Amino acid sequence: MVNEKIKISTRNLNVYYGIKQALFDINLDLFEKKVTALIGPSGCGKSTFIRCLNRMNDVIDICKVEGSIKVDGEEINGKEIDVNVVRERIGMVFQKPNPFPKSIYDNIAYGPRIHGLANNQDDLDRIVENSLKKAALWEEVKDRLNQPGTGLSGGQQQRLCIARAISINPEVILMDEPCSALDPIATAKIEELIDELKKSYTIVIVTHSMSQAARVSQNTGFFHLGKLLEFNLTEKIFKNPDNKMTQDYITGRFG
Amino acid sequence: MNNKAKEILLKKRYRAEKRFRFFGISSIILALSFLCILLVNIFTNGLSAFSRTEILLKVNFNEKKIGININSTDKEIKQANFDEILQEALLNLAPNVPELKQAELIDLVSIDATIELKKFYLKNKDVLNKTSEVALTLSDDIDQVHKGNFPRDIPEDRRRFSDFQLKIYDEQIAQKKIISEFNWPFLFNADSREPEIAGVGASLMGSFFTLIVCLLLSFPLGILAAIYLEEFAPKNKITEIIEVNVNNLAAVPSIVFGLLGLGVFLNYFYLPRSTPLVGGLVLALMTLPRIIIPCRAALKAVPPSIREGALALGASKVQTVMHNVVPLAMPGTLSGTIIGLSQALGETAPLLLIGMVAFINVVPSTPFDPSAVLPVQVYLWSESAERGFVEKTSATIIILIFFLAFMNSFAIYLRNKFEKRWS
Repeated sequence: MVNEKIKISTRNLNVYYGIKQALFDINLDLFEKKVTALIGPSGCGKSTFIRCLNRMNDVIDICKVEGSIKVDGEEINGKEIDVNVVRERIGMVFQKPNPFPKSIYDNIAYGPRIHGLANNQDDLDRIVENSLKKAALWEEVKDRLNQPGTGLSGGQQQRLCIARAISINPEVILMDEPCSALDPIATAKIEELIDELKKSYTIVIVTHSMSQAARVSQNTGFFHLGKLLEFNLTEKIFKNPDNKMTQDYITGRFG
Repeated sequence: MNNKAKEILLKKRYRAEKRFRFFGISSIILALSFLCILLVNIFTNGLSAFSRTEILLKVNFNEKKIGININSTDKEIKQANFDEILQEALLNLAPNVPELKQAELIDLVSIDATIELKKFYLKNKDVLNKTSEVALTLSDDIDQVHKGNFPRDIPEDRRRFSDFQLKIYDEQIAQKKIISEFNWPFLFNADSREPEIAGVGASLMGSFFTLIVCLLLSFPLGILAAIYLEEFAPKNKITEIIEVNVNNLAAVPSIVFGLLGLGVFLNYFYLPRSTPLVGGLVLALMTLPRIIIPCRAALKAVPPSIREGALALGASKVQTVMHNVVPLAMPGTLSGTIIGLSQALGETAPLLLIGMVAFINVVPSTPFDPSAVLPVQVYLWSESAERGFVEKTSATIIILIFFLAFMNSFAIYLRNKFEKRWS
């Protein structure tokens, strides 16, 4: 883990839902152009954690996030920080595919349009094509860009959402259990895609599948009851974890 | 449990199911039969109002009797008096009758007949000093006789038409001079004291203007209020109170809004009485909560994942709502609006209080002219004694039902169309 550039680092991150504390003093470094997997039993705070990274927890009225989150050494947690700019840099893919009820083209073009990334129609066409190609969806949909995105299969919808996330060229992509609603074939395609995407993006993926974490990630963090119990190279976590709890969880003894 | 007990239990369950089906089906049949009785009643009473009866009368357009000549301008003709030639033509139906009976002859046609004669002449100026056959509207009583609504066998002193009039009518029927045709004037004329020329034209226009004012006001206000309350307003005590009050407003009796309109729009702001403008304002107050509630429900039904998707792309709150949430909520909002408007179209009570119940015999040309509306016209005519107004009351209800059915089916069409697009 040496000689790696840190993309995001959190220090003493505490999150509260009302009076209930969901995360306790999370200190975590995410490395640039690596895939970091977050594992742990349901309700352990993995999703809450990654939603802090692009300030999606702001949407929840009762949620309070304390501590420091730095992207490239720049603080992003704080009232005075413009969340729209943060989210432009840090994209997100959700558990359930959530394409907009618009055409495939407009789904991808939406982000570039609101951020003014395209100067003209040709520019926009190119962005759409590139994003779909990067998400390995172009070949399947290039003839029906005007059809609704909601008409695609579940796996295609999820890749559409990934294409949508990368359309505005973010630095980080957060994935919150992106394969939990997909069949094994679609899952395999997404995993392949993640492998490809890590060349250009820093990726954080929350997953319930141990094998998926082992397959796609370089680093793995294990959350339990709102605490980060262990963070290390994926190989180390799966072969020889330091923490007894991690060992038990990975081998399926609880969770 | 043994087999016997099980069997009994099973039978009991089937019996309960049959009972439930029976009650369900019978309540539907009951409701449908009431609807049928209502519709059959209205249609049998009202359909005859869509035809009118005319007499083909030979009229001699004598220039001296009218007081015009071949060079008269249209304005002069409009001021001329066609009464004399009309009377002459009517008296020719039965020459040499005593003076007392002459009045009965003249009463055969509508008091509007001289105007019809004038209009005929304006279109056919070459009939001057010639005799021509003109179709003239018969009086209400003869019209009703022709439609079979007045029995002829009751004693003369207990009916509104004399034996002599009946005799002339029968003669004209025999000569095929009495004709029936579609009652266009009913759709275009304003109200009148004479049933044969009274029409719903004025109240149709009045309803149209009223609904336009109501729509222009309540639609944007309602939608903006709903969007703000649902998507932007913080969830606290104040918004909770507002929410409860909006729901309560929808249940306030409509006449209360009429009182409010009377007190505020008429007595405080001195807006013109009896006008579609004030009617539309009052109905907009009434319609607002009825638009806000379905609009909020439609917004609430948009999955949160759509909002998250847009927010995660760095869209601002307003962009998220306007680009992604509102379009999805549109079908529900639009159909809610149309149903709110169709309720407003059928509303009578609040409009009575702001003076839209006045007798107005000109068709309004702007929302600032005094006017009636369709349901108030029904109310006005239902109080009139003449048989001609009875059928007109039902005919107005038919027109009202037609518009309501049209609006509601449009709402259903919109909902289906938009829902199909993204499912």
